[in-house]
Amino acid sequence: MIEDLQTAVVRLDDVDKVFNQGTGNETVALKNIDLDVRPGEFVSIIGPSGCGKSTLLRLVGDLVQPTQGEVLVNGKPARQARLDQDYGIVFQAPVLFEWRSIINNVQLPLELRGVKKAQRTARARELLGMVELSGFEQHYPWQLSGGMQQRASIARALAIQPELLLMDEPFGALDEMTRERMNMELHNIWRRTETTVLFVTHSIAEAVFLSTRILVMSARPGQIMHVVDVDLPVPRGEHTREETAYFEAETEVREWLRKAKGYRA
Amino acid sequence: MAAQGKGLSGVSKQLHDYLPALVLFVAVLLVWEFGVALLEVQQFLLPAPSVIGDAFQENLDRLIHVGWFTTKEALGGFVIGCAAGILVAFATARWTLASETLMPFAIAANSVPIIAFAPIVNNWFGVDNPLSKMVIVAVIVFFPMMINTVRGLTLVDPAALELMRAYAASEVEILTKLRFPNALPYMFNAFKIAATLSMIGAVVSEYFGGNRSALGIFITQEAAQFRFANAWAAIIVASIVGVTFYLVVLLVERVTIPWHSSVRGEQAR
Repeated sequence: MIEDLQTAVVRLDDVDKVFNQGTGNETVALKNIDLDVRPGEFVSIIGPSGCGKSTLLRLVGDLVQPTQGEVLVNGKPARQARLDQDYGIVFQAPVLFEWRSIINNVQLPLELRGVKKAQRTARARELLGMVELSGFEQHYPWQLSGGMQQRASIARALAIQPELLLMDEPFGALDEMTRERMNMELHNIWRRTETTVLFVTHSIAEAVFLSTRILVMSARPGQIMHVVDVDLPVPRGEHTREETAYFEAETEVREWLRKAKGYRA
Repeated sequence: MAAQGKGLSGVSKQLHDYLPALVLFVAVLLVWEFGVALLEVQQFLLPAPSVIGDAFQENLDRLIHVGWFTTKEALGGFVIGCAAGILVAFATARWTLASETLMPFAIAANSVPIIAFAPIVNNWFGVDNPLSKMVIVAVIVFFPMMINTVRGLTLVDPAALELMRAYAASEVEILTKLRFPNALPYMFNAFKIAATLSMIGAVVSEYFGGNRSALGIFITQEAAQFRFANAWAAIIVASIVGVTFYLVVLLVERVTIPWHSSVRGEQAR
């Protein structure tokens, strides 16, 4: 148990989240959530719209607080982990500041951490190289395509070398082709950095391709209905989408999603 | 990238953009000049542009003197009003309750014709005292400045706020790195409004009495003595100052927030 506590990057213990508690429009978003994420895992959360999967991610990031239960990140309360900048986060929108060049956007978390300028710049350059945005350092967000902007926001999330990366439907706004390419890039980044990833999506293909584990959630109140272990070899690539295990995992997720009330694929 | 290709082509493009306006301006002047002559319009009703031009040259020294006097009033009021508006905006945006309480009053006050207070303010600070005009101008520009700044500081993308929180940003860091840059385009809008309003406010409040060296007084006195061409020449001075003031703000905006869609123009997606 104590050993577990030390090894889990994320631990949720019997967590409930109720919005507007005690008022007329009280909404139970999440109920009895238990979750352990081990170092190096890539865990996807999939479920019908409004099932609370984004809320679950925000609980881990201490952007909302649980009504009941405990959220631990790196063995400490989520709030402390946030204050220690233990995680990086990527939203569905890139959320780049339009007044900052791409390199300055990527540096933002380092600035907030008080890292020296020379060091910041060097790190940001390295990261932009990793997400294949070298040469766009001095560009402004509006000069980049949606996919490029999202790559910059991933670079920003990795700037502080977090042990945990929280991603809230990061490729939801991208077209299918770009999304598949971004999936490949994210997979490679995950392998190279050995970062633990908690990934919210409603694309089955994306979840299976990227994850080591998939949590299927039910409609509101959101509960973890089923866990799918994805035993696909790493590194993954184009060949992965043709493997039997890939189809099996996809089918398993789809069947469980169908059981989740309100799911329409 | 195409967006960076500003330069020579950008300048000639701008020239091209302004060409119709320039042609219209010249055309209006010509129609005015020859229309007045053809229809034999009386001088005191509408002097021809050439007559106004002559009056302008004859009175140039005096016009510069009175123009500068009133420009100083407008500038003083602009600086006081904008500074006060920004200060109050920052103070109230910091405390949500304060801004929520003040905003409806500010919006209501913004629609009050403040120029109507000019005789009263003249009485407070002295008719001859430029301060009385500065106060009027300051009060006129204060409200749009404050309202716009509060909006800019508070209408921040919620996701951006969440991002700052996720990286444990302090309130001060959120203010300096997110709210303030977010407010800049709103503030420049207010500066542009204020630049125009300040010259109008200074000249019109002088109509209610003021120093002998003031532009508004020059206009009323010349008009009272039927020297309408001189009054027209003074109005041109007021216009030149007003437009220059606006253009300076525009220039500062371009340098300060080149990233904003209002500045980069059609290239916005």
